[in-house]
Amino acid sequence: MTQPSQLQTIPSSRATSFPVATRWAVIGTLLGTGMLASLVTGGRDDVGLAAFLEVMSGEHGSIAQQTMRDIRLPRTLSAALLGINLGLAGLVLQAVTRNPLASPTILGINQGAALGIVVGLTVPTLGFIPTWTLATGFGFGAVSATFAIAGLFSGRLDSMRLILGGVAVGAIGFSAVRLGYTLEDDIARDVVRWTVGDIADLRFAAMMRLALSAGCGLVLAGLLAHRLNLMAMGHAVSHGLGVDPRRTLLQAAAIAAVLAGVSISVTGPIAFVGLVCPHLARWLAGPDHRRLVPVVALVGAILTVWADALSKLAPQTEEVPVGIVVAAIGAPWLLVTVLRRVTGGHAI
Amino acid sequence: MLLILGITLPILMFGSLFAGAVPLQFETVVNSLLDLNGPRQDFIVLQSRLPRILLAAVTGGALALSGALIQALMRNSLASPKIVGINSGAALAVLVTIFNVPAMPPSLLPLPAVGGGLLAGLLVWWCVQRGNVDPRHLTLVGLAVGLTLDAGVDMLLVANTGPESSAPLIWLSGSLWGRGWAHLVSVAPILLGLAAATIFLAFRLDLQALGADRAAGLGVRVNLERTIALLAAIALASVSVSVVGVIGFVGLMAPHVASRLVGGRHRVMLPTAALFGAVLTVGADTAGRAIRPPIEISAGILTALLGASFFIWLLVTENRETTYDRNQ
Repeated sequence: MTQPSQLQTIPSSRATSFPVATRWAVIGTLLGTGMLASLVTGGRDDVGLAAFLEVMSGEHGSIAQQTMRDIRLPRTLSAALLGINLGLAGLVLQAVTRNPLASPTILGINQGAALGIVVGLTVPTLGFIPTWTLATGFGFGAVSATFAIAGLFSGRLDSMRLILGGVAVGAIGFSAVRLGYTLEDDIARDVVRWTVGDIADLRFAAMMRLALSAGCGLVLAGLLAHRLNLMAMGHAVSHGLGVDPRRTLLQAAAIAAVLAGVSISVTGPIAFVGLVCPHLARWLAGPDHRRLVPVVALVGAILTVWADALSKLAPQTEEVPVGIVVAAIGAPWLLVTVLRRVTGGHAI
Repeated sequence: MLLILGITLPILMFGSLFAGAVPLQFETVVNSLLDLNGPRQDFIVLQSRLPRILLAAVTGGALALSGALIQALMRNSLASPKIVGINSGAALAVLVTIFNVPAMPPSLLPLPAVGGGLLAGLLVWWCVQRGNVDPRHLTLVGLAVGLTLDAGVDMLLVANTGPESSAPLIWLSGSLWGRGWAHLVSVAPILLGLAAATIFLAFRLDLQALGADRAAGLGVRVNLERTIALLAAIALASVSVSVVGVIGFVGLMAPHVASRLVGGRHRVMLPTAALFGAVLTVGADTAGRAIRPPIEISAGILTALLGASFFIWLLVTENRETTYDRNQ
């Protein structure tokens, strides 16, 4: 039943030998400076650190202070929360599938969720369902389909079929999205802008939704962490220890679908955060998921906050959406990882 | 079988003349086509619909041939121009050219397309040769290459917002909208020439299917012919992409259907695959125009919906036996 070639997949990522205090200091500094960099850059030059400190001390009279409170702060916090959501989704998926390439984009969740949103926009009778519910539902449907293709019902996942099946499910979702906006011309412009992952216009309400899902995600992933550790030892082993791998897979799929679905309904699909962050987190904190859950949240937040700061700093006439910045970092990284594993004789 | 497909294609192409925003009478179409007297709609029939139908047939056939060659060369039944990243490479190169050299005439766009396709294809090929890779992992390398190039495409599209950026968007989803005689003339000779060369190669491919050693024993210069076939496959796919954009999954589906219909001998299989690819693409284009006129649905969207479902079915059925060996 086991797939021996996969046993080393997760344990092989090793913890580094930095002292714990140094590690946390570095993480904290990166997150702090990233948030500051994201807060003080933007369209207006007069909104800077001073405005931030004034808002923190309770003043909000001037335009600079209002900009800070109503535009910059929600945007920066949203970026951080987005990273937490997507990083957690990726971690949970990689843990249960025991596949280092698993992530919301590769398994088709993002594309499924996007389809859910387009369906919500084009079918007026579904208007009463909140967008994020549709996105989550369709995302869950997509990842379940991918798991089924990979052999969920036979009790073991074939890693190759998992990835290729996810890509095919994603292709169907994405084509259906395009079909939707071909038929309904009015939504085309919104959808196109939205598919690249733009967080420039986020306000307080959107931020609260992200915060809620991030909170739920952290708690649920924390509760699941022990099972994730068991799953890492192999599906047969975890079954022997009393954890049904099929149940855990579906639970993880549900958590990931909620996290990715809410994020996508707010910002559009942002690829590669969910793929890259778990690897960085394992490199920092080792294979134990009880530690990985908080660490991956921090790493995700750092990545997206810095991507947001860079998207505002990039020398372009227009802002580059944060999704593009992340893809510019994540896609080459994916390529190198795949090449190293494939040519190095590792199992995928 | 070849005969049936050979008859289906012209009938479908003729039927396709009727689909679109302006409904036409049978008589009108025939009059225009055959230059007879009576009611005619020359512009719609001869200038708008006819060239795009021919183009759909030619590019569909080319993509199918490319897919068949790639599957044979890489010995991987899941490979296709799209999965291996050739389509994305060609698309990226064309976009870079459009945005940076606006003066470039559209008839020269196949050149950068072939360049981009070659780069992507050779990168994947190089990984395979170098690392002694399990052929099944090849698809993963191709996938990663494709995703990386797609990220580049997204970046270009966002960096160049403006009224002119919506045309590339339509083109990227694989549409025959607005394609006329000029496009057909610029690519059809290349594609037909390549197709002829490919079918000439088919006999040699059959020898190669016996295995590299035996083929060499029978006087085949294995490496040389593989390289030629690979270059032909890349060129076929890239040139098609340069005019009609990314019409995905035709190159994946056609060879499978063809080898089920007529068996694996390339002499018969390649022409069958090409015809089937043409039927598929013309069919997708026709359906796209007929579903909800005057709106047109890109052919690439329909082939992707159909093709991805087909791909899933392949994954579920065909690999059941191979998974087991791999885990030993």
